[in-house]
Amino acid sequence: MHEFSIGDSIVRSVIEELARLKTPPGALRSVRVAIGVMRQIVPDTLVFAYESLSQDTPAAGSKLVLRAVPVMARCTACGWQGALEVPLFLCGACQSGEIELMTGMELQLESLEVEDDGHAEH
Amino acid sequence: MATQNIKVYRDLMGENEKWAAATRTVLAERRLAMINLIGSPGSGKTTLIESTARQLGARFRAAVLEGDVETTRDAERIAALHIPVSQLLTGGACHLEAKLVHEALLDLPSENLDLVIVENVGNMVCPAEFDIGEHAKIAVLSVTEGEDKPLKYPLLFREARAVVLTKTDLLPHLRFDLAACEGFIHQVNAGIPVFKVSAQSDEGLAAWTDWLLALRG
Repeated sequence: MHEFSIGDSIVRSVIEELARLKTPPGALRSVRVAIGVMRQIVPDTLVFAYESLSQDTPAAGSKLVLRAVPVMARCTACGWQGALEVPLFLCGACQSGEIELMTGMELQLESLEVEDDGHAEH
Repeated sequence: MATQNIKVYRDLMGENEKWAAATRTVLAERRLAMINLIGSPGSGKTTLIESTARQLGARFRAAVLEGDVETTRDAERIAALHIPVSQLLTGGACHLEAKLVHEALLDLPSENLDLVIVENVGNMVCPAEFDIGEHAKIAVLSVTEGEDKPLKYPLLFREARAVVLTKTDLLPHLRFDLAACEGFIHQVNAGIPVFKVSAQSDEGLAAWTDWLLALRG
């Protein structure tokens, strides 16, 4: 249930980002978050956590939109780059285990969608 | 009504990372090594700590931070070894976060200590997500759990710097395929050491503690 910890982090980050806007924004419609596939997040649980934890905050009523980021890697032995078939962390060309993940560990607040009744600037 | 998109790009682990970095600073100042034991409930984490502390003795003086959802039973077991121990109760959370660990670290004696062993909450998923400032996450897997766990919990085995396979004295009674298990571990994380230990016979413990001694450098 790390979804609740992460949901809490999203809510707190969103509130801080809204407060940093130069002009007060219109209502918050949605929040976009990138989640790497390695993070083992259950999307429905995270959405539920966000909706529960954002009640009575400036983020209340907004929708959490998740973007899944696939696991991409590079092989330091042969230079191959490509998608991994998790849970196998082996090079797609030479089968070496000498690989580095390029994507798939993301946990990032990407954007806020606000109603355009003012001139919100970031 | 028209809407506008405001780009943010903010790391959601940023707050946790800040505390983990603060812990790394304290560990460096005090010349301490810190490991984070992660495994399912009943995998033998507390028993591994008991036998590790006994094996290390005065060569590498250990303190323990015990993460549990409830009760101080594990801390009481460790206290019987006469080493510093602090119980971290998460009150329902399934993992330890960096801030709680940092505060507990500051409460440990600042001298006559070489190693901090953190026992995370029994769980193979969530604890693997959180950096607590440790030198190494250690996956603790018992031979009674099934050899395919590395494939089912790849993040843990990918993040771990070593695997301790516990309860190996039970192997003659089980259909646990040791070679397959090691193969799965290395498919997820090529080349990481796998220490096969038994707390009954102390078999394999010396190799594990030698590896720990080298951690601080």
